[in-house]
Amino acid sequence: MKNIVIIGGGFSGLATANHLARKINRKKVKITLIEPKEENIYEPEYLFWVFQDKPISNLLKPISKLLSKEVNWIKNIATKIDPEKNIVTIENGKNILYDFLILATGARMAQEKLDAYCQTDNVCEFYTKDGVEHLKEKLMEFDGGTIVITPTTVPYKCPPTPIEFAFLLDKYLRKRGIRHKSTIRFLYPLSRAFTMAEPAKKVEKLFAKRNIKFTPFFNFETIDNENNKVLSLEGEEIGYESLIIIPPHEGQDVIKDSGLGDREGWITTDRYTMKHNEHDNIYAIGDGTNLPVSKSGTVSHFSSNILVKNLISELKGKPPKAKYKGLTICFILTSFKKSMLLHFSYNYPPKKYGLNSTLLFGLFKKAFKFAYFKFLIKGRL
Amino acid sequence: MTDYEIAIEVDARGAFCPGPMMELIKAIRQAEVGEFIALLSSDEGTRVDVPAWVDKAKHELTALINEDGFDRYIVKKLH
Ligand SMILES: Cc1cc2nc3c(=O)[nH]c(=O)nc-3n(C[C@H](O)[C@H](O)[C@H](O)COP(=O)(O)OP(=O)(O)OC[C@H]3O[C@@H](n4cnc5c(N)ncnc54)[C@H](O)[C@@H]3O)c2cc1C
Repeated sequence: MKNIVIIGGGFSGLATANHLARKINRKKVKITLIEPKEENIYEPEYLFWVFQDKPISNLLKPISKLLSKEVNWIKNIATKIDPEKNIVTIENGKNILYDFLILATGARMAQEKLDAYCQTDNVCEFYTKDGVEHLKEKLMEFDGGTIVITPTTVPYKCPPTPIEFAFLLDKYLRKRGIRHKSTIRFLYPLSRAFTMAEPAKKVEKLFAKRNIKFTPFFNFETIDNENNKVLSLEGEEIGYESLIIIPPHEGQDVIKDSGLGDREGWITTDRYTMKHNEHDNIYAIGDGTNLPVSKSGTVSHFSSNILVKNLISELKGKPPKAKYKGLTICFILTSFKKSMLLHFSYNYPPKKYGLNSTLLFGLFKKAFKFAYFKFLIKGRL
Repeated sequence: MTDYEIAIEVDARGAFCPGPMMELIKAIRQAEVGEFIALLSSDEGTRVDVPAWVDKAKHELTALINEDGFDRYIVKKLH
């Protein structure tokens, strides 16, 4: 009997566990998932939830309903991995042995840094459930002034999200009739408003049209809460009435403590095979890796298929030959009803498609949330 | 002769999003002052982006080496 252990039951861990459970001979292989949380949350809709008057519970699904019954679920936290002895230790001190380990631990929102930044309640974020609730309240109270939007670290989940937030905020303030007394400022680490040159041109054009002020080369350093200023590594200071940050992201403690990551705890992963760079029987998937691709569900989805193929080959005693070629699909919302669709890989640059039909967009969005819980997280597509 | 020891090497070849510049910024944030970073990029735009950012952020572009199908940027963290 071989043991596959997966640490982390977010989108990446659940999709991979479910996919493996369907493909593997369960008499010969046991799959164990270690995940402390009871529920999975559909993060892409945080963005809309900020502007909607609906309870956030609508975005949650219990893991018990999403995980295959063939997978043994341990509701606990992995505290240490010994890659020489093939052992995972969990919080209650128990050791779990593995033949293959899959790290799907995601990105950690550095709560201690976030608490330090959010000392005043005009500093908000929308990357956590509590953050969304708080920002919702603050926006309802907002009655004009300068709102500044900035990432605090790179990398962060879903690179277009801060841009999308700026576009939606513009629409929201217009709808409330207070756009004329509000300034939106968008601060970004690069010389352009988005990671990729061609889409960035379109974003900057739309920013200009909608009067969203863009500051390039702004790499967040810290916040001066007393004086309502945000400071950059490059030495700039920008004032705000309200500051919306993308929280600091880093790798998980278990990765750092087990020496399996880079200096910030991102799992050092082979960009093609999805294997750990140093340990042949460890794979990695999702936001926790150091791959040079975006931290997004679509990357997890495409790379999970490769990981599963390779692991199954190995279980059959064959070499793991499947290669993840960096395929990414990404939407950039430019309003509540319009978006740009991009796809690219390690081998070709982004191709841009407009998806501007209201009806089509509405249908797509609905279908996507449905597909996420019904098919993607179940490893079925 | 090269006179630097690379502390962090980032292979951003074929990376479009977040892309080579973001990978460099990430590495600079991880590095200690005085350490050297090697960034590998196959993207032509990086030839403009890296010198512009390094200059603005007041670090040092120690070397730019053209290799087969990609460039190797050596950047020193100065502060
Ligand atoms: C606002 C927002 C908008 C987004 N929009 C999009 C979008 O439009 N399209 C898209 O593709 N992606 C989008 N994303 C990104 C997407 O949600 C993530 O990439 C995806 O959820 C990552 O899944 P993951 O499983 O890798 O990580 P996570 O979801 O973070 O899961 C990691 C899991 O590991 C567990 N874990 C961590 N450490 C341990 C441990 N020591 N022991 C046991 N378990 C552990 C955690 O509890 C967690 O459940 C968005 C994200 C946000 C925040």
